[in-house]
Amino acid sequence: MSNETIKLSADVLGDGVGVISAAGYINNEGGQAIADAAQGLLGRGVRTLLIDLDGTRIINSIGVSILLEIMEKLLEDNGRLAFCNLTPTIAKTFEIMGLVQYASIFPDRRTARSQLGVDVPS
Amino acid sequence: MEVELHLPVVPNVELVAAKAVETLGAALGMDQTRVEAVSVAVVEACLNAIEHGGGSMVVRLAGHNDEARPRLIIEVEDHGAGFDPEDPPIDGSSRKFGCTPKRGWGLTLIRELMDEVQIRSGPGLTLVRMSKYVESAP
Repeated sequence: MSNETIKLSADVLGDGVGVISAAGYINNEGGQAIADAAQGLLGRGVRTLLIDLDGTRIINSIGVSILLEIMEKLLEDNGRLAFCNLTPTIAKTFEIMGLVQYASIFPDRRTARSQLGVDVPS
Repeated sequence: MEVELHLPVVPNVELVAAKAVETLGAALGMDQTRVEAVSVAVVEACLNAIEHGGGSMVVRLAGHNDEARPRLIIEVEDHGAGFDPEDPPIDGSSRKFGCTPKRGWGLTLIRELMDEVQIRSGPGLTLVRMSKYVESAP
């Protein structure tokens, strides 16, 4: 089971693309921590946000609702939201809650970077 | 294999039930993906009980491995005001993009992630009974 406290890191990858790595339980607190990190990246000019959920095994609907709010904020700013490293259950939850209609889903970080136009080191 | 948890309303208490799912699911031979689906469903049932149940909840887990199709059965019981399962107060599946509320997904997720779900609810007792087979249908 994932730890209760979510571990986050946020970086700008370049060319308006940012990434948040989140490992842990995405509940109201975890979702809000991701939202705060996203807000920080938007303030640094990021308009394409990749959320890497490697290490996240369990979520709840309140946490996902906060991710929906991040997505709506990005789309309002003509931005884009993407996810990678989703477990099958998290992917299904996103599908049920409508997140995949507006966000891109990639199997791993490398594929995401490639598809988002960020150079992938050889 | 049976476990009964009497859970108080404290932060992240739903993870106690999820941990029990993980332990019993593994003991039954359920694969990780199915265990995680059950865990999310149980977390949602517990959150509903916390939000609407008016106090502590009881979670019962039973592993049935003596049947043709082994399965994990879970009950989440609360003692709140109850609701009509066919007409829940908030239904997230009717949500439209960009419109609130963003809450109310619990029952939808439970029904989608579990194999069988039964809900009995009335004043003073709500019982969500859900089961997941160890293996998907052949």
